[in-house]
Amino acid sequence: MNLERIPNEEKLSLCRRYYLGGFAFLPFLWLVNVLWFFREAFLKPTYTEQPQIKSYVKKSALGLIVWVAVLTTWITIFQHFRAQWGEVGDYLSFTIPLGTA
Amino acid sequence: MCLLQLWAFGFCHLLFMNTSDSEEDSYNERSSLVQCESPTIPSYNQDHDMSLPQETDTKRRRPVSSGLDEPGPVERERASTPDGEEEELTLKYGAKHVIMLFIPVTLCMVVVVATIKSVSFYTEKTSQRLIYTPFEEDPNYVGQRLLYSLLNTMVMISVIVVMTIILVVLYKYRCYKFIHGWLILSSLMLLFWFSFMYLGEVFKTYNVAMDYPTLAMIIWNFGVVGMICIHWKGPLRLQQAYLIVISALMALIFIKYLPEWSAWVILGAISIYDLIAVLCPKGPLRMLVETAQERNEPIFPALIYSSAMVWMVGMADSSNPDSGGVKLGLGDFIFYSVLVGKAAATGGDWNTTLACFVAILIGLCLTLLLLAIFKKALPALPISITFGLVFYFSTDNLVRPFMDSLAAHQYYI
Repeated sequence: MNLERIPNEEKLSLCRRYYLGGFAFLPFLWLVNVLWFFREAFLKPTYTEQPQIKSYVKKSALGLIVWVAVLTTWITIFQHFRAQWGEVGDYLSFTIPLGTA
Repeated sequence: MCLLQLWAFGFCHLLFMNTSDSEEDSYNERSSLVQCESPTIPSYNQDHDMSLPQETDTKRRRPVSSGLDEPGPVERERASTPDGEEEELTLKYGAKHVIMLFIPVTLCMVVVVATIKSVSFYTEKTSQRLIYTPFEEDPNYVGQRLLYSLLNTMVMISVIVVMTIILVVLYKYRCYKFIHGWLILSSLMLLFWFSFMYLGEVFKTYNVAMDYPTLAMIIWNFGVVGMICIHWKGPLRLQQAYLIVISALMALIFIKYLPEWSAWVILGAISIYDLIAVLCPKGPLRMLVETAQERNEPIFPALIYSSAMVWMVGMADSSNPDSGGVKLGLGDFIFYSVLVGKAAATGGDWNTTLACFVAILIGLCLTLLLLAIFKKALPALPISITFGLVFYFSTDNLVRPFMDSLAAHQYYI
């Protein structure tokens, strides 16, 4: 859908819903929120709802950064220590690469 | 001229005969090629072929044919302009939209071919089959194989016809909620289960270790955002990307689970069915269009790829922010990709694959040209699939041995 076409209140409502939805373990939704509403929030001339949209975009970005940090940490730990963890490592693994210890 | 509307989609549910693996539920949406510039075109809405509640271990498959459609307001505007200008507008309109459809169709085919070439899972034949192709092809007996592929095709097409008719009946009796619910279930299956399978195979191919928590996060995010974008509101590009991805996933399933010869015959038969269903006066899809027109509502907004574009040629004014574009049904994406994917899987070399790819694009181009001329819903499959099949068989049997021979003798032309 095209953001140009909808009234500002609806934009705000959409941004807000995307923001709230992201709390259900959905950093991707926050990412979409940030990218989609970035122009609305920061690059458009001011309108009534804009400060709120700005705040939602900022909060979504914050949440996204937190999630990225958490996931990166976990993935690094897992990839590095998977072999050493033995049984637990196998239990956690969806695919186990062949040919390595 | 009256406003032309979107086509209905049908969903197919695949039924697996072998019980060695967990049953899979997959849905195939087929839709049509539509151009829409009407301001009344609704934002995304799903529609789906109805199916009876299934037992947990069986699912059914039901595609509905596809079509091509043109916007109404364009025609009204055109009627007031002199003939020469009208001609030019038609052509200008067509060219941009051809490009706008080439890109997603190409992307879908690229994804399918890339997967086929790299992930061997989708080319490994298993004993699992769809319930719609019950006859097993035995490679040792040519005559029997041919017969069985024809029988498989007849089973498949009759299932499709039945489902389309059920869809029309449902639509006539206004069972919208049922249809929407079924549609949502289908895309749920596609977005979660098939992508899970796909990711698993990709990781295995590239020998990557993946843990369950990360995988769960990936699938969950991919699926939920997909559902939101497709069934509710989301950025247009993301919606288009998701549609391309689910079409590719569906095509891969078909490539894996349809027996060799049956697949080719089915492709041919589906194009013929498409032609009949969309163009004949008693065709189910045509009746669907007419019913929707009587009710003056958009037909079954369903899973359609929309290349929304602002109408620019001479009529753009701020009071009429009409965003129109060609709409192509997902079923068309799927069957184009099945053709090219099978060419990549069985043809063996790139000549065949590229030939089929070019054939399909030429067919699409011609179909769009016809759309611009006739300005009514058209089936998008027949021309492309015919060209594709012709190119595939001729390239495989004539060009390839020729090129091999030339290469063997180091003779360059």
